[in-house]
Amino acid sequence: MKRSKVIFLLSVTAGCLFLVLSTESRAQELNGLAAAVPRQVAAFAAEGPDATYDRKTIYDYIDGAAEVYLAYDMRGCLSRRYVAPGESAIVLDLFDMGTSADAFGAFTHDREGETLDIGEDGLSREGWIRFWKGRFFVSIYAERETAGAREAAFRLARAVEAGIKEKGERPKILGRLPKGGLQKQSVRYLHSHILLESHVRLSDENILGLGPDTEAVLASYVREGKRARVLLVSYMDAAQAAAARKRFLSLRPAGDASKRGIASEEGKWWLSAQAGRILAVVLDAESGPLAEALLKEAETLP
Amino acid sequence: MGSKKSGISRRDFLKTGARIAMGGAAGLSLAGSSHGEAAGKSRVVMVRDKGVLDGQDRIRPAALGEMLDGAVAALMDERDAASAWKRIVSPGDVVGIKTNVWPYLPTPEPLNEILRERLIGAGVRQENVSADDRGVLANPVFRRSTALVNVRPMRTHHWAGLGSLIKNYIMFVPIPSNYHDNACERLGAIWNLSHVKGRTRLNVLVMITPLFHGTGPHHYSPGYVWPYYGLIVSKDPVAADATGARIIEAKRRAHFGEDRPISPNPRHIVVAGSRFGLGRSRPEEIEIIRLGWNEDSLI
Repeated sequence: MKRSKVIFLLSVTAGCLFLVLSTESRAQELNGLAAAVPRQVAAFAAEGPDATYDRKTIYDYIDGAAEVYLAYDMRGCLSRRYVAPGESAIVLDLFDMGTSADAFGAFTHDREGETLDIGEDGLSREGWIRFWKGRFFVSIYAERETAGAREAAFRLARAVEAGIKEKGERPKILGRLPKGGLQKQSVRYLHSHILLESHVRLSDENILGLGPDTEAVLASYVREGKRARVLLVSYMDAAQAAAARKRFLSLRPAGDASKRGIASEEGKWWLSAQAGRILAVVLDAESGPLAEALLKEAETLP
Repeated sequence: MGSKKSGISRRDFLKTGARIAMGGAAGLSLAGSSHGEAAGKSRVVMVRDKGVLDGQDRIRPAALGEMLDGAVAALMDERDAASAWKRIVSPGDVVGIKTNVWPYLPTPEPLNEILRERLIGAGVRQENVSADDRGVLANPVFRRSTALVNVRPMRTHHWAGLGSLIKNYIMFVPIPSNYHDNACERLGAIWNLSHVKGRTRLNVLVMITPLFHGTGPHHYSPGYVWPYYGLIVSKDPVAADATGARIIEAKRRAHFGEDRPISPNPRHIVVAGSRFGLGRSRPEEIEIIRLGWNEDSLI
C-alpha cells in the first residue's frame, strides 16, 4: 500500500475516532448537567431514564424543529420527562449548542413572552420557559400549564441554571448594530436563510448566501416614531459579501434606477451597503433618512 | 439613495424576487401556478360537522364516518359512499393507509379505523389493508401495495412551513433529512419514486383541530389549535393542501390581528404542482364543494 494511502486511512480513522469521542464527551457533559437537576420537583417526578440525542438521532425526537437546532450547530440534546398525578407532563430539554453564540441564537429564534431573570436571557410564555447560559439552550415545556406545573417548571429552571457553571458571551456581530432606537427584544442571531425567513421574507431562495460560515443578526428600530429593521451579515470574505449584495439588488425590477435601495409606494425603504466582509440591509424603513442613518451607523457607509 | 420615482411596492419586490429565484413557481405563500393537469379544475370537498367532537373534544366516530362518507360520495359524484369507494379501490388492491403519528396531533385512530372499514367494504381483503407511518418502508402491506390512502392533520411546521399531505410521504424514503433543503421544497419528488408514483387514490386532510402556529422545540401549544370540525378530501394532494393552507393563513390573520404569513413559506405545496406535476394550487383552479356546517369557514 502506498504511503499516501496509509496516511489517508489513518487520517480518516483518527477523524472518525475524534467524532465518536466528541459525541460521547458531549453526551457525558449533558448527563453531568442533568445529574445536577433533581428528579423530583414538587409533585413531579422524572419518568424513566433520560434520553440523549445527537445530530442524527435528534430527528427521532423532535419532528420538524430538529433542523432549527441543527442550523444552530446543535451538538447534543438531553430530554427528561416529569409526570405528576392529575397533571400533564413537563418536558425538560437541554441543548448543547457548542458555543454560547449559538445558544444565544437558538434562544432568539422565538422571542415572544415575558422576560425572566434567569440565565443570560430568559422568557416565559404559555407553559414554556426557556433561557440560555454558557453554550446551553434550555427549554422547559409544560404540556398543560397549571399552577403546580408552572411552579415546578420554575424550580426546574433554577436548578438547571445553577448547574451550568460557565458564562456565555453574545456574538460579537451584535456590537455592530446601531445603538439608538434598538428594540433589544427583537434581536435575532442566525446562520440559515430558512430561519431568517421566519422573521422576514425576502425570497424563496437563499439569495444572501447564508450558511454555517456566515453570521447574521436582524434587529428592529424605532426612532422618532419611525420604524425600520436592520440585517447585518458577516461573510468569510469581501467577495462573498459583494456577491450577496449583487443578488439582493437583482431582486429589483428592471428599470429601477436606484443603486442602493428601493422606495416602495407605501413609503418603505429598502437599502443595502457593503463594507468588507459585512453586508448591511435596511428593510421596511419608514423614512429614507432613517435608512441612510442606520447604514452609516452600521459602518457600512462612509 | 433610493429614489421615490421607482414607485415599486414591497409586494412587487417580493414577487420579482420569487420570480427570479423560482422561475415563476412561487410568489407569496400560495400564489404560485401549477401544471398537474392540462385543463379543468381539481375537486376538493370540504366537509364540516360541529358534532364530530363531544363536550370533551373527543372524536365521535359515527359523525366522523358520516363526514367522510359524504365527502367521498361528493368527490366521486356518486349518490352513496359505498359506490364511491368501489370506484376508488378494487377487490384486488393492496392498500396502505399512510397515517401520521406526531404525538401532539396524530391522525385520529377512529379515522384510520373508518378508512379500513370502508376499504374492506369495497371488497379489499382484510389482510391487504394496513395503516402505518414511520414503518411504511418495512411494512409488508405497503411493500406490495397497489394503492395508497393518505390521511393526516394539517399543522404548522418549523422547517417546511406546514405539515401537509405532500409532506406526509417523507417516510417513504430511508433518509428523510435528504429532503429538508430549502424548507423541504422537493418533497413532491418523493411522490414520483417508483414505489409511490401513481398509487395514491385518496387524500384526506384532517382539519378537525388544526395547529395554526407553533413555538418551542416541540412546536405545540394547546393555545394554537382550534376546533374547525372539518375534513378536506381530494384526489389532488396539492389542491387539498393549498386549500388547507389558505384556512391556516386566514386563522393566523384572525388570531394575530395582522398578516402573519406561514413561516417558512410552505413552498413545497406549490412546487409539488409546478415542478413535480402532482396537482393544482391556485384557488381559481380548485373547485371547492362545501358540505355541512359553514360558519367561520375562513375561506
